[in-house]
Amino acid sequence: MSAGTVPEVSTWGAFVATLRRDLLVAFKRRNDLLNPIMFFLIVVTLFPLGVSPDPLELAGISAGVVWVSALLASMLSLDNLYRADYEDGSLEQLLLSPQPLFFLVLAKNIAHWLISGLPVVVLSPLLAYMLYLPEGAYWTLVLTLLIGTPVLSLFGSIGVALTVGLGSRGLILAVIVLPLTMPVLIIGAKAVTDVMFGLPVGSHFALLGAMLAVALSIAPLASAAALRISVN
Amino acid sequence: MWLWFSKLGSPRWFYELSGRWLPWLYGAMALLLLVGLTWALLFVPEDYQQGHTIRIMYIHVPVASISLACFPLMAIAGAITLVWKMKLADMVAKCVAPIGLWFTGLALATGAIWGEPIWGTWWAWDARLTSMLIQFFLFVGVIALRSAIESPDAAARACAVLAIVGAINVPIIKYSVEWWNTLHQPASRISMDAMSPNPPEIWVPLLIMISAVYLLFVISLLLRTRNEILVRERRSQWVTDLIARSQS
Amino acid sequence: MPTLQFSSVSEFVQMGTYSFHVWVVYLLFAVFLGYHLILPGLQRKQFIRLQKRRAARDAELAARAAGRHGQSDRSAQ
Repeated sequence: MSAGTVPEVSTWGAFVATLRRDLLVAFKRRNDLLNPIMFFLIVVTLFPLGVSPDPLELAGISAGVVWVSALLASMLSLDNLYRADYEDGSLEQLLLSPQPLFFLVLAKNIAHWLISGLPVVVLSPLLAYMLYLPEGAYWTLVLTLLIGTPVLSLFGSIGVALTVGLGSRGLILAVIVLPLTMPVLIIGAKAVTDVMFGLPVGSHFALLGAMLAVALSIAPLASAAALRISVN
Repeated sequence: MWLWFSKLGSPRWFYELSGRWLPWLYGAMALLLLVGLTWALLFVPEDYQQGHTIRIMYIHVPVASISLACFPLMAIAGAITLVWKMKLADMVAKCVAPIGLWFTGLALATGAIWGEPIWGTWWAWDARLTSMLIQFFLFVGVIALRSAIESPDAAARACAVLAIVGAINVPIIKYSVEWWNTLHQPASRISMDAMSPNPPEIWVPLLIMISAVYLLFVISLLLRTRNEILVRERRSQWVTDLIARSQS
Repeated sequence: MPTLQFSSVSEFVQMGTYSFHVWVVYLLFAVFLGYHLILPGLQRKQFIRLQKRRAARDAELAARAAGRHGQSDRSAQ
C-alpha cells in the first residue's frame, strides 16, 4: 500500500489495488483459505451425527443447518479480515491514505467474501445433497446464500473493526456480531424451507436484497469509523 | 439553545440539576406505584379467558415497553458522543446499557411466567419473545465490548458505533422475526390484540403502571449517571469538595 | 367505578388458581425495584468512602513527607 507516496491514485484505482492485494495475500496462505471451508464441512457433518441420520428428519432441518454452518464459517474466518494488517501496520497506512476509507473497507470486505463466502456458496449444493434437501430447493439455497453471505461479511467486518485492537478477544466478536446477523439467517433459511413446502419466495428474495443494499451502504461506513477508533 | 446544550454537557451542572429533580421523581414514582399496584392487584376485574393472570400484564407490559426505549436512547447518546464528543452523553450511554439489559431480562422472565398458564409453555418462539431475546443479546454485546476495551475514550466511541448499528438493526430484527413467526405458526393464541376493545378499568391502571415504571427507569438512569459522574470527575475540585462535605 | 375483586385475604393470595404465577411476577418486580433504587446508593457510598480513605492517606503521606523534610532541615542546621 504505497498510496501515500504516489501523488494521483483514483478511488477506483485504490479500490482495485486493495482488493487485489488482499486476494494475493490470501492465495499465498493456502491453509487460511481452506480452513473456513473445512470448518463449514465439519460443522455440517456434526448434525447427522448429533441429530439423526434419518433422511426425513435431516431433510426437515437441512436448510437451517447449511445456513447456520455458513454463518459460523463466516464468523470464524472474520478474524483474518483486519488482524494481520493491524499487526504489520498496513492498516494504519490504509487509514492514512487519501482515498475515502469507505471504498477501501468495501474492497477488503469483498475480498473477504470472495475468499470465505463464495466457496461456501459453491459447496452448499453438495452438503444439501448429503442432508437430503429436496431437489427443488437447491437453487433457492444457493441463491439465498449468494445474497446472504455478503451481508454476513459486511456486518462481521464492523465487529472485527471494533475489536481488532483488543489483546484478548475470545468470544466477544461472536457475541457482538451474531445477534446482528440473525435477520439474515431467519430470511435465508426460511426461503429454502418455504420452497420445500411449495410456497412462493419472491418476498424473501426482496427482503434479502434490501438487507444487502442496507448493509452495503451502512456497514462499510460503520467499519471505517470503527477502524479509526480501534487504531487511533 | 447552544448555551443550554453546552450547559447540559457539563457533568457538574447535570449532577446538581438532577439532584434537585430526584426527590420529586421519587415522590411521583411512589405515588404512581402505590395507586397502580393496588389497582392492578385488587381492583382490576378478572379476565374471562386469563383469569387473574391478567394482573401479570401490569408488570410485564410496562417493563417490556420501556425496555424497547433503551436501545434507541443508547444509540442517540452514542451519536451525540461521536458528533459532539459530549462526555455526559457517553456516561448516559454507558449507564443505560445495564438498565436495558435488566429491563429486557425482566420482560423475558415475566413473559415466560405469563406464557405458562396461557400458552401452556414457559417458552414459545413467539415473535415478541424472540425479538426480546435478540435485544437481550444486543445489550450483552454492547456491555461486553465496553468492558473489553481499556481506554475509556475508545470504549465510548466503539460502543457508540455498535449502539448505532444495533439500533438500525432493531427494527429489522423485529420485522423479520414477526414475519418469520406469523408465517410459521398460524396465530391461535391469546395475544394482546385479542383484548383490543379494552374498557378503561383495564387500561387506566396500565397507563399508571407504565408511567410509574418509566419514572423508575429515569430514576435508575439518573442515579447511575450521577455515580458515573462522580467516578469520572473524581479529580476535579467540586467532586473532592462534595466528598469532603458528605457524611458516611 | 372499580370494585374490589376479592372478598377475603385467602382468596386474594390464591388468585384463582394462579397464585404462583402472579406472586412470582410481583416478587420479581419487587426485587427489580430494590435493585434499581438501592444498588446505586450503595455504590455511591462505597465510592465516597474509598475516596475519603484515599484523601486521608494522601494527606497523611504529605504530612509525613513534610515532617521528614523538616527534620532533615533541622539536622542539617
